[in-house]
Amino acid sequence: MTELTAPNVVASSTRSDRRRKILQNLLRGERPYMLYIAFVILLVVFSLSSPWFLSVDNFLNIGRQTTLVSIIAVGMTFIIIARQIDLSVASTLALSGMAAALAMSQINNSWIVGAVAGLGTGALVGLLNGILTTQLSIPSFLVTLGSLSMARGLAMMVTNTKPVIITNETYFAIFGEGTFLGIPVPIAWTLAAMIVGILLLHYNVFGRRIYAVGGNPTAALYSGINTKRVTTAAFVLTGTLAGLAALVLSARSHAARPDVVQGMELDVIAAVILGGCSLFGGRGYILGTLFGSLIIGTLNNGLVLLGVSSPMQLVIKGAIIVAAVAFTKR
Amino acid sequence: MELSGSGTAEPRPSTSLVMVSGINKRFGGVRALRDVNLEVRAGEVHALLGENGAGKSTLIKILSGVHAHDSGTIEIAGKPVEFDSPAKSREAGIAVVYQDLSLVESLSVADNLLLGREPRARFGFVRQRALMARAEAFLNELGIPLDTRATVGSLPFAYRQMTEIAKALMGEVRLLILDEPTSSLTSDEVGILFDAIGKATRRGVGVIYVTHRLNEVFEISQRVTVLRDGANAGTFVTAETDMKRLVNAIVGTDRSASTGRRTEPAAKRELDLSLVLSLSGASNDRLRAVDLSLLKGEIHGLAGLIGSGRTEILETVFGLRPLESGTIEIEGRRWLPRGPADAIEQGIALVPEDRHVQGLVLDHSIERNVTLPRIPHFSRWGWMQQRAAARRAETAVARLAVKAPGAFSLVRTLSGGNQQKVVFGKWNDPRPRVLLLDEPTVGVDVGAREEIYAVIRNAVRDGSGVLVVSSDLVELIELCDRISVIVNGRVARTLSRGEIDDAEELHHLLQMYQATGPGPLQELPA
Repeated sequence: MTELTAPNVVASSTRSDRRRKILQNLLRGERPYMLYIAFVILLVVFSLSSPWFLSVDNFLNIGRQTTLVSIIAVGMTFIIIARQIDLSVASTLALSGMAAALAMSQINNSWIVGAVAGLGTGALVGLLNGILTTQLSIPSFLVTLGSLSMARGLAMMVTNTKPVIITNETYFAIFGEGTFLGIPVPIAWTLAAMIVGILLLHYNVFGRRIYAVGGNPTAALYSGINTKRVTTAAFVLTGTLAGLAALVLSARSHAARPDVVQGMELDVIAAVILGGCSLFGGRGYILGTLFGSLIIGTLNNGLVLLGVSSPMQLVIKGAIIVAAVAFTKR
Repeated sequence: MELSGSGTAEPRPSTSLVMVSGINKRFGGVRALRDVNLEVRAGEVHALLGENGAGKSTLIKILSGVHAHDSGTIEIAGKPVEFDSPAKSREAGIAVVYQDLSLVESLSVADNLLLGREPRARFGFVRQRALMARAEAFLNELGIPLDTRATVGSLPFAYRQMTEIAKALMGEVRLLILDEPTSSLTSDEVGILFDAIGKATRRGVGVIYVTHRLNEVFEISQRVTVLRDGANAGTFVTAETDMKRLVNAIVGTDRSASTGRRTEPAAKRELDLSLVLSLSGASNDRLRAVDLSLLKGEIHGLAGLIGSGRTEILETVFGLRPLESGTIEIEGRRWLPRGPADAIEQGIALVPEDRHVQGLVLDHSIERNVTLPRIPHFSRWGWMQQRAAARRAETAVARLAVKAPGAFSLVRTLSGGNQQKVVFGKWNDPRPRVLLLDEPTVGVDVGAREEIYAVIRNAVRDGSGVLVVSSDLVELIELCDRISVIVNGRVARTLSRGEIDDAEELHHLLQMYQATGPGPLQELPA
């Protein structure tokens, strides 16, 4: 071995390196600043053009409206970094909501039973997605296209498409209408999901493995990583978060409906991609995803305030997403 | 260097199909080709030989229009030509059959043969029956026994290659270039391929046949041109030469002088006679009863041609290929590899053949790559200990002298040699019991190569056993205490230091075994 060790030099460079690294962990991505600039531009444009936009109430509103997308987008970030995709998240949400509401109505009207049923159903759908993708080597695009349809169908079948009313006040308070440290609980749950996501992705062994599996699956395999298990875990995480989103939604509307949030998977994927994840895997970061979903939420909110017709909203939203990705892609 | 060696056939320009003269090509500071000449006649199979890096691929890429040459001329049928794109070369009648074939696997043989020139009816509909008929007539004319309706993806490899050759011949092809076409074929399939080549030459097509297998040269070619270090090392009439002369031309007698490399064999060292790894009767889809032993502190080389099973031995030990029968023992204990994680747990490390695909996550930092095989060691209760990981990466960077701005530099930005050092860095600490190396110095410059040799020698000094696969026979001689010759998925012979000290001899031996098949298994020492 070439004995070229210069310990002092190495040690002194370490600290600044480490600080830079922590920053990188938070702001990972090729050109993350583009994302923040885009967000600020949006805020400025809407503030100037609508007198109602710039208010605490309205921002809380945006926060509440983006809750579902933001929570699920945390999981989708893991999935996309691992070179997979999950199209089934909106259907999983619907099915989990039905499971939670039905479980409560059947067993003691207990909010704990509801929560466990909702999260468990989401996790189970995720587990099936993961197992089918990794064990049968079916592309996740196809597996989740199938489960998108199946989960939605099941959600409709259980009550013959009728909604299930929820009456548990504690459930409403915990997941939908209460506040936690002064923050409305839907936003608190979003923040919790984000923090867990950041810890898992950037500070946990699991995150390291996700990046490696997405960055180069063969090299990860050759390094002794169980790529199938890691990929499956990402699907389970996403399914569970879809279950959490289902609890939030059903607690807010005091009922679970089988036909909710159709097509929301596209908003989730758009948020993650806007947030700087590469569809080729191996890159992405949770904070970017947060801003990605905030951009989508702000767009929805601002366009409504401006009185743009809803067909026109769709066109503008689509165009802005494509333009933003074009600017922020590597 | 003389332009034509002994036994050169008198060139007859009147019959020459392709005439390459005085070609030079530089890549940066490296002279890849120096005044190279090559003449191929109509209807001739002209073998092109040389070690890896001798310039064969560069010459082919120039002929096929992938690279432009710096100086020199190419003439086809007496007319000078200039290729600035593969399309131009194709237009001039040069077709290359690469190893990774350019067929659409989901289409039939006939569809592939006529891809892009299908007989059409109105509105762009394909006249399927006419297409089949035309393809069938063509194959009959050539005498190639292919089912035109079979889906290409369902065919054995040799038949796909035949389809590829037939496809090349459908156009106006005058020169067909085959780049190591037999490296993944069985001997029956080789026969089929040679028939197809014969059909082509009978139509007046000239063939350049690149290979590492000398016995094939004698089977199929009329003439041979050898390249060495980017220059001609002789052109021979096949019938008038023999294997020894060809090997001399390939290896060269002034090898050490021309490459500046030491060829002195590894110093004889006292080996600790305890086994770290032994395989007995190890078999699976690519291995046939492999017997192999690796001692503590030994560097054991695996020599063999591409496709001989040498890489597969490493993959089997590392748990990437299931062991179907036979046993593997680690330090005397039987062990069945269940996967790479299991192998790593046993203290086995692999530096794989293709560092870009198998060894590294190019878009990630050195630190991420180096810690990848042992993530749990840098964590507590599942949470990364960023400091420990960073320290480990910095130690690896310093100890292996990786030239990089820091441990957080992206691996993609490093040179080939430094990337390879990062792959070694993955297995640096703790010291592996068994270090498996597959072509450890491919695509690495001379300086980095010496540094990698130092790393390998250091590993054995610390008590690792090293199993190294290399196509570079000089490298094997220089590094190894013992060398096993791998032929057709088995160990044909294991040679100790002293039995063989010279790359040329080893080359002869490899060719002999390749031509005759593996001989009786030899007793292993210890």
